[in-house]
Amino acid sequence: MDVRAQVAMVFHLDKCIGCHTCSVACKNVWTDRPGAEYMWWNNVETKPGTGYPTRWEDQERYKGGWKVGKGGELGLRSQNKVDAFLKLFYNPNQPGLADYYEPWTYRYGDLFDAAGGDDQPTAVPISQITGEEMKIESGPNWDDDLSGSPLYAENDINLESLTDEERAGLFEIERISMMYLPRICNHCANPSCVASCPSGALYKRGEDGIVLIDQDKCRGWRACVSACPYKKIYYNWKTGKSEKCILCFPRLETGQAPACFHSCVGRIRYLGVLLYDADRVAEAGKVPNDALVESYRSCLLDPNDPDVRAAARMSGVSEEFIVAARSSPVWKYVMEWKLALPLHPEFRTFPMLFYVPPLMPIMGKIEGGIYEHDAKGLFGDFESARIPIQYLANLFAAGNRGIIEGVLKKLIAVRHFKRVQGHDDVADEYVKRLLREAQLTPEQAEGIYELTTIATVQDRFVMPPIQREEAMPAGCSAEECKGSCGLGRTESPERGG
Amino acid sequence: MISQPRRLLTTPFWTGITNGPRTYSAYCQNLEERIPWRTLTGRQHFYLDHEAYVAFGENLPTFKPRPEAAKVTRDLEKSRVPGGALVLNYLTPHGKWGIHSTYGDTLRMKTLSRGIEPVWINDRDAGLLGVEDNDWVEVYNDHGVVCTRACVSARIPRGLCFIYHAPERTLSVPKSPERGGKRAGGHNSLTRVRLKPLFMIGGYAQFTYAFNYWGPPGVNRDTFVVVKKLARPEF
Ligand code: SF4
Repeated sequence: MDVRAQVAMVFHLDKCIGCHTCSVACKNVWTDRPGAEYMWWNNVETKPGTGYPTRWEDQERYKGGWKVGKGGELGLRSQNKVDAFLKLFYNPNQPGLADYYEPWTYRYGDLFDAAGGDDQPTAVPISQITGEEMKIESGPNWDDDLSGSPLYAENDINLESLTDEERAGLFEIERISMMYLPRICNHCANPSCVASCPSGALYKRGEDGIVLIDQDKCRGWRACVSACPYKKIYYNWKTGKSEKCILCFPRLETGQAPACFHSCVGRIRYLGVLLYDADRVAEAGKVPNDALVESYRSCLLDPNDPDVRAAARMSGVSEEFIVAARSSPVWKYVMEWKLALPLHPEFRTFPMLFYVPPLMPIMGKIEGGIYEHDAKGLFGDFESARIPIQYLANLFAAGNRGIIEGVLKKLIAVRHFKRVQGHDDVADEYVKRLLREAQLTPEQAEGIYELTTIATVQDRFVMPPIQREEAMPAGCSAEECKGSCGLGRTESPERGG
Repeated sequence: MISQPRRLLTTPFWTGITNGPRTYSAYCQNLEERIPWRTLTGRQHFYLDHEAYVAFGENLPTFKPRPEAAKVTRDLEKSRVPGGALVLNYLTPHGKWGIHSTYGDTLRMKTLSRGIEPVWINDRDAGLLGVEDNDWVEVYNDHGVVCTRACVSARIPRGLCFIYHAPERTLSVPKSPERGGKRAGGHNSLTRVRLKPLFMIGGYAQFTYAFNYWGPPGVNRDTFVVVKKLARPEF
């Protein structure tokens, strides 16, 4: 057993209000500079929708992640032995600027300096790249709040296995719905970006699992850009290097949560340590789609088990990480309650960011012109949820509906469990049955309620002290190590030669 | 000049004292200092015991349908409705990201939306207009005109459109062909103040109104507009 510690994450989608405060916090801190204008290390998408870059989930187009080969082995979808070399020079699977968007600004000066005339002046949009006037035709959040859109929602790849009837619901005013999907780098346990890099510039930090790009080693080949199935690596056209979310490790190392976590208005984000068995990660990724969620769960190790802790010590996991793992909110959501799921596990990178799928609003009914609660109980039943189960299954369970149903049953049971404590419109027996069916004890239900609704900053972010100076190779001065941290370079870039 | 937004205009009555860490909160004085509510009885009132309210059927909260025809609101007496255009009900709800113009006009928030304050319309209505998502449209009535791009979604009910409240009239505002090539306006160019008789009664206790402060709900944002495609925007 090779025990590794990972700073892992949970996003609780029932709580995301789509405000994009996270995106703005990240942008202001990390990517507000030339060459990075179009990058949003954190972005929030409206689902159904096509996201950013557009249709990023379409691996026929972008060839990201791993696939199981004929011999049952895992291979990068983006390259094989033959074309890895050729793709260094021309890679048709790269997203282009049009797949992201052309960043713009406005010619604000005209508001002050325009020649006199009959009309008030106006500031027209200009490209941040060329400085020329431009038409704004896409953006990093272009289909925000649209949902029922023939151009965007209708082209969401997750709708592909839905029935016609379910798809039609997308365009009916009384049935339409949407959800928000905030995304950052998943800091995967089996990162395809790391495997794809011809320069060995990408690495996964030993002590906490954060995936970084060494800016000194990066040669700008961009193999990682297409290999990352989440499209969370971006090429900086000014420095000629690739960049990505660094999980705000300078903040983590000083005891603060990453900027997007810290600023999250909906308090949907949780951060904590997971222990996993690195020896089993590759094997776990070879099972059929249906079995992937369970397979990945089986790699995660229970920090409350003394044998696991002993093995962790043997593998060199620090005592601080082991202690933090025992009070990890992520462990609770992912393993104890089995509420949080990986996004697109079928990309087979074993993402370390897990999502609690939303319990979508239950469909009401209209009778005699009056919109009423569904007859099926106070919160309805999840089969009549507005977002089809299959859609959520395609996002968070590689198509396995049973996994999603298990989660939604729990979410409904917890709501009834709390309802009966303050009101008398639900029968005790009914609540007991729901808990039983959801396989939850009352203590677990209370725990879910507390961590979901009234948790404090200390409950949501349980971070071990990270002692980077000890993890750095001895003899490497801070100045020499600067490039490897994913932030700045120590050598000036050489272009075209 | 200051570099960050600051809290201002803190008042015990209107916002609660927000100088410290406390956020905006209404009616703090009545709750915390037990100052009687400004009503005839000093208590909160739900039922409005006044004969004019009774006559208008607004003595209790009630649903009133929107005016069904442009004739009732008389917004389109001087505006032409050419072939290919649609007459739609027009609303100006508060947006997702801003109260009035605050923050919504920053480059960051413009980038996270459409680079403009668009007009939202239903997909089938857009089909009738020959308008696709992000096409330019001209929206006008007797009060004014807006030229902007369309945001097309089945989420918007048929027969109405809206522009979020409230962009400044500075970014990317074309000239209006319908209005002789003059610079188009903002969302409020299409609305007008409508005095409602209930605004004019009372003048004491809970029947004391102030503009935009409290009072019976008005109908000034419930208007009708003509929407048509704008092939080539001119700036
Ligand atoms: S800040 Fe939080 S609530 Fe707002 S969009 Fe981001 S994840 Fe969702």
